[in-house]
Amino acid sequence: MSEFKPTYFPSRRPAQVVACEELTDGVVRLTLRDAFIAAHARPAQFVNLYTSNAQRLSPRPFGVCEVNGDEFTLIFAVIGKGTGEFRGLKPGQTVDVLGPLGRGYDLREPADYVLVGGGLGVPPLVRAAQELHGRDDCHATVLFGYRNVHFADRYAAKYSDDVRSIDESEGNVITILDRWAEERGIAGGADGHLLPCAEGERPVRILTCGPLGMMKAVSAWGRDHGVAVYASLEARMGCGFGTCVVCTVHTTRGILKTCVDGPVFNTAELEGWEAAR
Amino acid sequence: MSEATETMTPELDAERRSNFDANQKFTWHHKTQVAGVEWKNPVGTASGTFNFDAVKWFYDVSQLGAVSTKGVSPVPWEGNPVPRTAETPAGSVNSVGLQNPGVDYYLEHDLPALKAAGATVITNVAGHSDDDYAEVVSKLADHESDMLEINVSCPNVSADGLSTGTDPVALKRLVKRLRPLTDKPMIVKLTPNVTDIRPIAEACIEGGADALSMINTFVGMRFDIRTGKPILANITGGVSGPCVHPMALAFVYKTRQAFPEIPIIGIGGIMTGEDALEFLYAGANAVEVGSAALGDPVAPLRIATELDALLDKRPELAQALEEGRTW
Ligand SMILES: Cc1cc2nc3c(=O)[nH]c(=O)nc-3n(C[C@H](O)[C@H](O)[C@H](O)COP(=O)(O)OP(=O)(O)OC[C@H]3O[C@@H](n4cnc5c(N)ncnc54)[C@H](O)[C@@H]3O)c2cc1C
Ligand SMILES: Cc1cc2nc3c(=O)[nH]c(=O)nc-3n(C[C@H](O)[C@H](O)[C@H](O)COP(=O)(O)O)c2cc1C
Ligand code: FES
Repeated sequence: MSEFKPTYFPSRRPAQVVACEELTDGVVRLTLRDAFIAAHARPAQFVNLYTSNAQRLSPRPFGVCEVNGDEFTLIFAVIGKGTGEFRGLKPGQTVDVLGPLGRGYDLREPADYVLVGGGLGVPPLVRAAQELHGRDDCHATVLFGYRNVHFADRYAAKYSDDVRSIDESEGNVITILDRWAEERGIAGGADGHLLPCAEGERPVRILTCGPLGMMKAVSAWGRDHGVAVYASLEARMGCGFGTCVVCTVHTTRGILKTCVDGPVFNTAELEGWEAAR
Repeated sequence: MSEATETMTPELDAERRSNFDANQKFTWHHKTQVAGVEWKNPVGTASGTFNFDAVKWFYDVSQLGAVSTKGVSPVPWEGNPVPRTAETPAGSVNSVGLQNPGVDYYLEHDLPALKAAGATVITNVAGHSDDDYAEVVSKLADHESDMLEINVSCPNVSADGLSTGTDPVALKRLVKRLRPLTDKPMIVKLTPNVTDIRPIAEACIEGGADALSMINTFVGMRFDIRTGKPILANITGGVSGPCVHPMALAFVYKTRQAFPEIPIIGIGGIMTGEDALEFLYAGANAVEVGSAALGDPVAPLRIATELDALLDKRPELAQALEEGRTW
């Protein structure tokens, strides 16, 4: 028989656990070693983790938070069976991974990027800040909303000089988005729209990830202010790489797969979002 | 979104392809035959769990015995609302609703791409009425699929909304109608949602089927105990994965006992070469791997290599398969 050799795009494989720490109750930061993911994961691309229990076959997708050498980190909330298992991972153990997967944020355009994250939607935005860091044709403003503990500010602060956050006792991301816009003097013209940027000024682009309600509010804010909003969506996934067609989303381009056509979509092309404003 | 944000940039693709080609050293020692069609090994993919565009980055699909495509219908089908998947121990419950871009798109895009890649192609056919099936089979007749696989599990208006696959009379009528429409070997894929598979298999054979594949998914559901509501938007879905393996084996075994000649493709819960081997001992000529390919894109190829090694040690079984016989 022929020996089974890995393929040119690495398939599912074990990654070594470098560190696993609880940032706050039920929020875990996991550092894994996988040179391929570390080298190639773009902001809002995700990786599938698989539990070691052969009874649980479904993938657990997580947005890549930071990459460093041949390591990458994830930040996740403990929700159910899979994340309950991953929280207990110890350095030296391995966990099966697949990725990076999906289409992330497009950061090629020189722009002022406003990264609006809520709860466990912050990891892809930290990765976006990391990628924008050091680009002199861009600027990243980070606006995070938390339930209570501001667990991810320090990671974003490594890459952005402008990190603002808020928790539920003070308001929500729209509160800080309004404040930011006011400071920038772009609270909108008489018609509520963002004034066209001055000659040579960079356009504003909003990247968002977080709870659906929050992303819809951010999308509506963007529409009202004439700013394009790119959202990273969540979906229950059966494969994560485009085979099973369980992760569909209705868009103006037709029914697309969240896992390979997204998870990032321009919110203007998402159908049914308007109604929920 | 731009091309540049995809995982597959042209540079990466080129780099990976160069590694990939270096790995193309599979030699298969044990082929099989299904209704006169030679498979280079007894492992294929199951319909709906194989998508060429998704997996071509991971492995060379021509290395599989065959690939069964997503069911194609006469016109595009939108499928069911989401959520379409729920986890269950050793399996999953899915309600995709046969979303597919339709036969015309398939003939223009998917089939030529698969043939260009060197795959042995089983085109899986879906329909909501006998006319639907007839239309698709006629359209496929002069194209280059190697085999057709008729999925008779879909709800069918010609059978009062039940799946044709549960009614021997309706099934025989359908297979008889499709038979003269094509020269291609026609596999009928059976649903396990019946009390006795033998009259169903008999109806297919009498109608002129060249082979049977089994099983499709079991009807099932899961509840979210926090809300008390079903997890799937469609309420029920199809159960697949290792949890169905023992039942799938029994379906194959009973059919083989009753019908010694008909070629059978065993499907259900195959995760390893050993799982596949059990189907061969139950009397299958070949197998299709489904859910395993959702948890690891290269699983079908891995299983094929494992089975090849297991057959090395079982010359009698290997010999039988090669000659188109079974255990
Ligand atoms: C593209 C993407 C990126 C994500 N990034 C992050 C992240 O960075 N941090 C984070 O905390 N969470 C993230 N999530 C959500 C995360 O995948 C789920 O919280 C996790 O799968 C729950 O697994 P579990 O086994 O603990 O839950 P269980 O409830 O036991 O899971 C049962 C099944 O449902 C699926 N599931 C449950 N909740 C979700 C959900 N919200 N989204 C998708 N599938 C779900 C699971 O994957 C599993 O297959 C992301 C989801 C997607 C789609
Ligand atoms: C997501 C998904 C989609 C499927 N779509 C089809 C389909 O379009 N046509 C079909 O005949 N069977 C379809 N099936 C059934 C499989 O081909 C197979 O018969 C079944 O999953 C049992 O095999 P398994 O346990 O190896 O998954 C689908 C199964 C899954 C999980
Ligand atoms: S999760 Fe399988 S296609 Fe998206």
